Amino acid sequence: MGRIVHGMSPAEVVRTLRQADGYYVTNTARDLSQSDYKNRILLHTDLLAAKPREQAGFFSLEITGGASIHVDILRKQVDPFLKLELLRERMPKTMFQTLCRGINLFGYRPYPQNVIRLVVREYAKYVDVWRVFDFLNHVPNMVAVFEEVQKAGMVLEPAVCFSTGPEHTDDYYVRKVGEILKVTGQEITLCIKNHGGLGTPKRIGDLVDAILQKYPDLIIHYHGHNTDGNDVARTTAAVLAGAKIVDASDHAFSGYYGPPSILTVVQTLAEYGRKAVGLDEKAVVETSDVLRSERKYYEYFESQFKGFDPTVQLHKLPGGAAGSSFEQAVKGKFLEKMPTILHEELPKVQKELGNFWSVTPGSQILWTTAVSNVQGGDRYGNPSGDLKNLLLGKYGPFPFYQPADWIYEKVFGASWKEVLKKEGGMDKIEDMDIAKERQELASKLGYEPTDQQLVTYLQHPNDAVAFFKFEEKFGRAHVLPPSILFRRGGFKLGETIKFCDHSGKEHVIEIGPMQTDEDGKTHVYLNVDHHQRVFEFEPEAVKGGEAKAAKLSKQEIEDLAKAGDMRAPFNANVCEVSVAVGQEVKVGDRLAILEAMKMQTPINSLVNGKVEKIATKVGAAVQPGDELVKVTPAE
Amino acid sequence: MKKKILVANRGEIALRVIRAIQELDHVAIGVYETPDNDALHIRTADEAVWLGDGPRCDYLNIDKVIAAAKKAGADAIHPGYGFLAENPAFAKACEDAGIIFIGPPSDVVQSLGDKVTARRIMKEAGIPMVPGTDNLPAGDDGVQMAVEFCRKYGYPVMLKATAGGGGRGIRRVDNEKQLRAEIPVARAEAKAAFNNDSVYLEKVVLTPKHIEVQIIADKAGTTVHLGSRDCSIQRRNQKLVEIAPSLIEDKALVDKICETAVKAAKAAKYFNAGTVEFLVDKDRNFYFMEINTRIQVEHTVTEMVTGIDIVRTQIKLALGKKLSFSQEDVQIRGYAIEVRINAEDPQNNFMPEGGKTVSVYRSPGGYGVRLDGFVYQGYTIPEVYDSLLVKLTVHGFSWNETVDRLRRCLNNFVIIGPKTTIPFYLRVIDDRDFKKGEFDTSFLDTHTHLLEYEDVESEGSKLARLIAEIHYRKENPYAV
Repeated sequence: MGRIVHGMSPAEVVRTLRQADGYYVTNTARDLSQSDYKNRILLHTDLLAAKPREQAGFFSLEITGGASIHVDILRKQVDPFLKLELLRERMPKTMFQTLCRGINLFGYRPYPQNVIRLVVREYAKYVDVWRVFDFLNHVPNMVAVFEEVQKAGMVLEPAVCFSTGPEHTDDYYVRKVGEILKVTGQEITLCIKNHGGLGTPKRIGDLVDAILQKYPDLIIHYHGHNTDGNDVARTTAAVLAGAKIVDASDHAFSGYYGPPSILTVVQTLAEYGRKAVGLDEKAVVETSDVLRSERKYYEYFESQFKGFDPTVQLHKLPGGAAGSSFEQAVKGKFLEKMPTILHEELPKVQKELGNFWSVTPGSQILWTTAVSNVQGGDRYGNPSGDLKNLLLGKYGPFPFYQPADWIYEKVFGASWKEVLKKEGGMDKIEDMDIAKERQELASKLGYEPTDQQLVTYLQHPNDAVAFFKFEEKFGRAHVLPPSILFRRGGFKLGETIKFCDHSGKEHVIEIGPMQTDEDGKTHVYLNVDHHQRVFEFEPEAVKGGEAKAAKLSKQEIEDLAKAGDMRAPFNANVCEVSVAVGQEVKVGDRLAILEAMKMQTPINSLVNGKVEKIATKVGAAVQPGDELVKVTPAE
Repeated sequence: MKKKILVANRGEIALRVIRAIQELDHVAIGVYETPDNDALHIRTADEAVWLGDGPRCDYLNIDKVIAAAKKAGADAIHPGYGFLAENPAFAKACEDAGIIFIGPPSDVVQSLGDKVTARRIMKEAGIPMVPGTDNLPAGDDGVQMAVEFCRKYGYPVMLKATAGGGGRGIRRVDNEKQLRAEIPVARAEAKAAFNNDSVYLEKVVLTPKHIEVQIIADKAGTTVHLGSRDCSIQRRNQKLVEIAPSLIEDKALVDKICETAVKAAKAAKYFNAGTVEFLVDKDRNFYFMEINTRIQVEHTVTEMVTGIDIVRTQIKLALGKKLSFSQEDVQIRGYAIEVRINAEDPQNNFMPEGGKTVSVYRSPGGYGVRLDGFVYQGYTIPEVYDSLLVKLTVHGFSWNETVDRLRRCLNNFVIIGPKTTIPFYLRVIDDRDFKKGEFDTSFLDTHTHLLEYEDVESEGSKLARLIAEIHYRKENPYAV
């Protein structure tokens, strides 16, 4: 059989791979979701597919990392750790794989060392295989992650990002691999990360061969995208040249910008006598049979422009960016300029900026610069902060050559040399005070956060807090299927929705009428578990409208009282004002009496001082926070 | 012959009385102030008379209620509890108008309502009493008298409104400074609430049990008791949890208290249903507190353990019937507990949650469960009345069974909209001391941790809110 399973040591994994008569397949569910569905494939769908995917016997299931962790909390409202826990319950054998952007982790900018190490430690409890890359192939940017993964006893998979052009020679890549191996040793799997699906099958075959000539025992994992429709051939060439693991995806969901279909790769290689070790083809088919009916719910997130794009060889955008570039063009109303941007400007900018690898965050910098150059007319006249950082070498050194002086002059002005001298090079990022961050998170949440919550917060502070608050208010929404979460246009009157909550309890909700009253407030009637509920929605705030006075909290009312500013602590009627303006009062003196629910409550001064203002009168109805009496405290 | 009986009250007690009237096949007439025009007691009554815009003044307006009774042709009036129930002027006005007042005669209401007179009657009858003053004279003399009393008997003392009752118009005073400060406030409050600013002092019996006895007497003077109740679990002298019978293990003591209650009622020439309240201290001394001349909120627990419908009996006796049972016929079977489910936030000093709408109301049922409420799904709680939503009374064969049933019922209750006392009661009944029956009036002060609980909203409810939002916005605003 030779199946590789969760729990094996890296040494055992690598040994099994070396001895294998054939190759292994990684199911890149995460990359497919990110490339063709804007990262929206829900945990609900992955759980539906869990059983046949587990049965299929993949080398690994790539299910987290990349942009997915951010999108998990931002747009899918699922805890990225809980997601892995729930999948693990249903998939006890399959190794889980992540994609980590080295120093940028799962985000877009460098993180402090101690944060990187903490994040990796927490995720390493769930993730078996760690693919780590840097968009400049700058090895020092990946070292902290390498070390933590190896310390945690997980499979490390350093990646060399691949691209094309005169500088991208076999020699360069073989040297880069050597540089990595010096840090990691040979007990790893090495990824050739072809995120754009660049180059020809021959080019990929040659590269794999060149690396194996130098490092014959090295396990090579080929990762490619099918943007030009030719990745089956590249994958085939990689295996024929000796790659032991390849990436592919479930055909029910395969689109245009993600990895190719598993079965197509397997069938093609079978013809060459290459066997997919441990793979149960029937289970692969079954997975797609389960997934097929779900695809329609994700239609909104698929690229507006369907079809393979061989021009990727020119613009080199990676999977996810290729799809979303059209979306941005539609939103930014420059769709007609796309041929210019993609086929002329972007290739030009690539070369001008050093022909590095178009992958996060480099791909975003290239794309933004190209759009800005075309839209603004003045090339490099409106540089983004990220472009400036790139030129200053904040992300790392340029791999081949530094961009031309005129670009620096355009971006930084005449004194660009001084700027470069003064600010150039990578910043040392100070460690974060993690204990302090934990405290801050606790005060934002009102309870002690878990380590996992802290880790999510350290990466995306605002979005993490918003997500935790979302869960408090709306519960664990990952139980809802895409047919509900991604419903557009509302539900039908009388439509019945059934679902199980996180604890396993089934609920049934029937959609009732929706009415808007004369104040513009909308009432949504639902029958929840056989009982009528009404949910109210305030009308959308009108721009320039008066903001409603903020209500004071109990604590704020108490604090004001301690300063002599007595506010009504509850809804009541004022039945006595006991003092007059100018009167001296002492602590405990009665200022007023309130009556609520038939009980009278004296309002006594908490300070010594002089009555400055009477803001109420006998008989007045007051609400919490309303001013009663103000006392100026004595010195 | 069918009689017309007006119920001069609102809320759950109005409904309770209307049900008894309708069971007796008489005609129930409801009255209401404008905020109650949608209330369940009006929906259930056979007829209804509007008293005025209120709030809280027309239910208290004797002339308006009498006029309503006349207009409706009422033969009798049941006052419920609160409002005019213990106002002797009201009982008198009924008598003058030739309308039967379902309760004791006005002079008995008068003498027992004046706590000082009541104490005098009881003292003469040899009923054990807590030391106390007469009504305090007005002004400084009254303050002086109070100060001297306290110097003799020591603090703490209770400052009580002579015309008060039901826990209202009572405040505890711990020192002389406070005493001097509180007397005018208590007078003002008494004046506002009962239109009578008389107050008096009583020595505080520390950590007593509040034990009371339900009595009932017909016009011939036959007086029986329906056993004891324990109402020790209180907040600011407002009862929260009521139990029948008392859990005091010394049965002879309980019997003695019950017999004393009958003796007290007879001394007061009592007629109809009433409650004699006692304090029982740690040394098993018991002291007379007062006689409440009305049906009480907690009468349900007595009904559950005796099987006797007290309100029905009240009406029959008022209409001239004799008691149909003797003391020997009264048997106590098992235990009953009542909790008052109030629209209050226990964690915010039991602040009333008036003004909120009950968007979900789901009540428990099953064996041994009784509900006396008046809210319904969609009901907005008026801010101007008290915060009682529903009384949950459970009955069981043993104490443990009764507590188990109560927990089950509280867990089965779903009230969404206002905060309620339900989560607090769940904490109370899980308390070890409560389960053992070891509690007195200091229970809440010594068990403040019972207020430390977290609000739990069900996952189904939270997710329904998300679905409502997706429906309203026509897309999931959190996903796009």
